[in-house]
Amino acid sequence: MKTRKSQTEILGLAIVVVLILVATIFVVRFLVLKAPTEYRKGFVSSEIASNMLNTLLKTAAKECSQLTVTELLQDCAQARSIICDDGKDSCKFVESTANYIFDQTFDKWNMQYEFLAYTDIRSPLIKVGKPCKADKRSKLFPIPISVATMYTKLDICG
Amino acid sequence: MHPDLLIHTKMKKAQIQIGETIAVLFVFFILIIIGFMFYVKIIKSNIELETEELSQLRSVGISQKIMFLPEVQCSEDNIIIDNCIDILKLDSAQSIMKKNEIYYYDLLEFSDVSISQIYPNEAKWNLYSRKIEDFNSKFVTNVPISLYDPATRKHGFGVLTIETLFK
Repeated sequence: MKTRKSQTEILGLAIVVVLILVATIFVVRFLVLKAPTEYRKGFVSSEIASNMLNTLLKTAAKECSQLTVTELLQDCAQARSIICDDGKDSCKFVESTANYIFDQTFDKWNMQYEFLAYTDIRSPLIKVGKPCKADKRSKLFPIPISVATMYTKLDICG
Repeated sequence: MHPDLLIHTKMKKAQIQIGETIAVLFVFFILIIIGFMFYVKIIKSNIELETEELSQLRSVGISQKIMFLPEVQCSEDNIIIDNCIDILKLDSAQSIMKKNEIYYYDLLEFSDVSISQIYPNEAKWNLYSRKIEDFNSKFVTNVPISLYDPATRKHGFGVLTIETLFK
């Protein structure tokens, strides 16, 4: 009779210990190991994605009669009649300028990116950077041209 | 049993029970202390986490204040142009911000703000700098920004670098 009573008591004690352990695991999981919310990261990547494309498209090229990148892209998608001071056509010039700017910014900040300018996404006119493998922040900017609409797209990975 | 022996046995039993109670209380207080230490550690880590989040939010706030500073923002016919800095205003703003450091400290706290032109030419402007040595957290925010030259009416490509320090 006494053995049975003590066995029940041990079982009760074991249940209490298990409950305390479970509670401790929950506390550790949700309170101690809680990762900080990355408010800054979200702000920075969204600002960079939109500002980078807007700024790039407004930038004037001094080697191409001070035409803006938007105007050069419009020529690139249509006649390709503009030849810059360094002998490059509009497409090549925008590609090399974008390469230089991204090299001074994204590469220095260790950010992966992909920049595309296209009328048909399957055959882009300009492609700089590498495609993102996982998460990305994307900014698409349409540019009107006479026959259709061309798009510039910037993906920032991570 | 002899009465003296009975009293002696009872006293011994009582002493053992007192010893037991003391041992139980000792273990109980040890458990309370361990629990309290655990609780303090959790509270401390939560406070650190909240401080980090608060610093991040303050850093974002300072970055936004700088991006929309009327002292440097481009405007045309009183209409503000987003994501753009006027180079002529920038030259004046540099000296104004230096002269009114206390006013700008209220806005920008401990931070270092500089603007670098990347294309077509390379140039650098240091707009504001107030640093501390014993900071706990430091955030560097780089924002691509258009640099407008009103003389030629053309835009260049620049980067606004904001370094915020918190104690």
